[in-house]
Amino acid sequence: MNALALKSIVADSSGSGRAMGAYFTETKYELTRMIRNPNVAVPVLLLPCGLYALFALLIAGEAIDKDPNLGIFLFAAFSIMAVTMPALFGTGVTLALERDMGLLRLKRAQPAPPAAWVVAKIVSGLVLAVLAYIPILVLALATGKLTLGTGQVAALSAALMVGTIPFCAMGLMVGSLASGTAAPAYANLIYLPGCYLSGMFFPLPTSMYWQTPIWPQFHVEQFAMHLAGIAKYQFEPLQMAIASMLGYTVLFAGVTIWRLKHKG
Amino acid sequence: MNNTQSAENRLHALDAVRGFALLLGVAFHAALSFMPGWPPGIWAMNDNSPSQFLSDAAFVTHIFRMSLFFFIAGYFGRLLYHKLGARAFCANRGMRILVPLIVGWVVLFPLISFIWTAGITKVFGGTMPPMPEMPKVPGAFPLTHLWFLYQLLLIYVVVIALRTLVARVDRSERLRGLVDKAVSASLHAPIAVFTLGLPVAAALMSLSFWFYWQGIPTPDQSLIPQIPASTGFGTAFLFGWLVHRSRDALSLITRRWFVHLVLGVIATGWLLHTMHASPMAQPGLTKTLFAMIFGVAAWGWVLGLTGAALRFLSNFSATRRYIADASYWIYLAHLPVVAAIQVWVGHWPLHWGVKYPFILLVSFAILFLSYHYLVRPTFIGQLLNGRKHPRKPLPPGATPSPASPPPAATGNGGPVAQLRGITKKFGAVTALNSIDIEVRRGELLAVLGPNGAGKSTAISLWLGLIEPDAGVVTLLGGEPQDLAQRRGLGVMMQDVEMPKELRARELVDLASSYYSHPFTVEETLWRAGITKFADRPYGKLSGGQKRQAQFAVAICGRPKVLFLDEPTVGLDVQAREAMWKSIRALRADGCSIVLTTHYLEEAEALADRVAVVAKGRVIASGSVDDMRALVARRQISCESSLTADEVRGWPGVVDASHDAAKLQITATDAEGVVRRLLASDATLTRLEVRQAGLNEAFNELTREAA
Repeated sequence: MNALALKSIVADSSGSGRAMGAYFTETKYELTRMIRNPNVAVPVLLLPCGLYALFALLIAGEAIDKDPNLGIFLFAAFSIMAVTMPALFGTGVTLALERDMGLLRLKRAQPAPPAAWVVAKIVSGLVLAVLAYIPILVLALATGKLTLGTGQVAALSAALMVGTIPFCAMGLMVGSLASGTAAPAYANLIYLPGCYLSGMFFPLPTSMYWQTPIWPQFHVEQFAMHLAGIAKYQFEPLQMAIASMLGYTVLFAGVTIWRLKHKG
Repeated sequence: MNNTQSAENRLHALDAVRGFALLLGVAFHAALSFMPGWPPGIWAMNDNSPSQFLSDAAFVTHIFRMSLFFFIAGYFGRLLYHKLGARAFCANRGMRILVPLIVGWVVLFPLISFIWTAGITKVFGGTMPPMPEMPKVPGAFPLTHLWFLYQLLLIYVVVIALRTLVARVDRSERLRGLVDKAVSASLHAPIAVFTLGLPVAAALMSLSFWFYWQGIPTPDQSLIPQIPASTGFGTAFLFGWLVHRSRDALSLITRRWFVHLVLGVIATGWLLHTMHASPMAQPGLTKTLFAMIFGVAAWGWVLGLTGAALRFLSNFSATRRYIADASYWIYLAHLPVVAAIQVWVGHWPLHWGVKYPFILLVSFAILFLSYHYLVRPTFIGQLLNGRKHPRKPLPPGATPSPASPPPAATGNGGPVAQLRGITKKFGAVTALNSIDIEVRRGELLAVLGPNGAGKSTAISLWLGLIEPDAGVVTLLGGEPQDLAQRRGLGVMMQDVEMPKELRARELVDLASSYYSHPFTVEETLWRAGITKFADRPYGKLSGGQKRQAQFAVAICGRPKVLFLDEPTVGLDVQAREAMWKSIRALRADGCSIVLTTHYLEEAEALADRVAVVAKGRVIASGSVDDMRALVARRQISCESSLTADEVRGWPGVVDASHDAAKLQITATDAEGVVRRLLASDATLTRLEVRQAGLNEAFNELTREAA
């Protein structure tokens, strides 16, 4: 079925069909915008892959060959970075800019389905996440720095995709709280410490273990390790990881809704 | 009338909540045969496939379902009390609560006993264990699940006694005024969710024997009121009563639904976590915390769910109405049905994930069928729900249905959008003060006024972006927040930038996807006159072209009402003429248009009617000619040796001023003034008299309002 045919069905039908059409169109244009805006797309897509190449191939290349677990550890770290950054920055910064532009006010006045722009942003964040993740995956598999079975790679990848959702919510929260110019700064402020203090990039001393559950990155990594069945890096039960990701998503989404409702 | 409408809508939502709480009770009891670790005999059956998940789920519903029920009962209690008066209220409650309690118990208790005996015998492999003795508590009586009716009756007695006392002591209503304020404030903050649970927390803390899972121990063993249940459910009922008293509590609950729900979920998460660590309360900090957080969880859910229902389920739905009507019967009758099926399937070698849905499905099927055929059309339905429904549907229109659409507000020439008695404040600033404006079908209303007059606030109210502090806003016969109404509107706002990466054509395509019957993209582009630059990115368009693109987005949905907030700012003459033409074409198609503008010639060129707004009030409204007639003033100008001050005091002169060369006079009686001018100054030259333009009329009016 071509797009034109699909479109006419959407235009002719009423109710749910129309709503689906609105969701589809909103998402399509959200993606179009992201791809046409190189300021967001380029750093988000290239940075994690570049860093992975630097650390995993050049700096720790030999160490990984001796201890394949290290390869998994580094792959997970940079993959999480790759998938969560577009989720956070892609949704957060654009939302903040749109609020400044008055666009969100216009959307609320128009009969847009209330969740359409949220879904569009989340889906776009996910698509960008996939685009950022694939180069790292290809690089890791091609250079033999990731020694997992096909099923494990698939499970790990799926876990990473699910793991973007709390960061989409975090992005929406930042976007709803900060202005367009301040949003990138605030997003970095809450994102970067988590990358280090969650123990994602390097092992932490035991005395700092207590604070790792504060960071959403930690739970996403734990979720991924459970799904991929890598026992060595499992530090909390699967249920806890799922509950924490869910909890953070609800918390961030709640703040966003509250904020948008009260301040617009 | 619309107040009645919205009050009715709220009742639909609250009815749905009550029905939900009752049906949740069925799901709760259906889970009880799957509880892991329960000794045989506590419930009718111990299923061979226990489930921790169902145990947790049952605990979660148990936290709030009865409090939710009593909260709504309190709300409806006061509503009914004030509608019927004390005597009729008692009679009504006697029929609807006391009779079902007594008759229900007499019929259900033997059935329940029989099923319990059969179930327990099955659990013990065919031999009946010795019957447990009645618990040795004062007033012991097996109320079964009908305890809630008994509890409700007790609460009615106490609350009505309390009400009579308060009415007698607090004659000036000062105390009640304070209580109303406290209720509003507690929901506004929102601290109600933290404080309402405190009384029951205190009662729970004092329990010497408390399984956390029990929550508020069910008072089904005794006729003597139990402290935790009476405290917890009494608080819920009383708060529901007070919410009905309060003017704005319900709208606060509606607005805060998400915050409350999140608090409820977080608190529930903590409770589950703690309960897993140690299921039995031990004296100490954890027990205290558990009791207090239990209150937060219960009220978070109660206020959150009620608010969500008010927010999302306020419209009438025949299905929801049916289910809400059925829920009372279903809850009364469900226990033997559910327990019988639990006993039946208890030893099947199947996973609980199959058996639990099966129990629910079969139970609800039996219960709904029995309601439909045995209750709804008979005297039992009359008793439980206050009215009988004939089995065969009546011809359409035979009975007034709450579903009937609101009065024909959109009829020919009738208003399509109204602001009635609207007051809106932002902090200390009153943006609109008891304002009334309406837009009639097919007309173009120009709203004029200086900056800060309240024009944009009025538009924001119609667009559903803000809510009024007082008064009623209608759009196309409904509330502007409803998506269905908003599908009939188009809007062009001030100070909006569209995404710069998208082309004008794409912006129109996106906006068209929100509407049911939009113009084709090409037609919209043509109507808005932007076909030429439709394929350029929005960010590359000139200021005027951007406004034209926004106009295209506003009209793409074939709107019934179009709101244009200063649409022609920044347009050159040609583009403005083109937009005017397009606006006229839309109006000719029957579209109603609200236009705010600073260009008075725009109003004169387009408007059927003008409303002048200043300082938050409509100071004049009518056709352009009406407006001129209203002011009935003419401008006289001349070169004269007379000063403005001399002339100002003359009869028929409204205002006078002297600019560089000429004396300018605004007069209601131009002929009289001219006569006197000529008599007073023989040297007078260049006399000119003309009808005041809208510009002058507008300036005069706004100056007078200031």
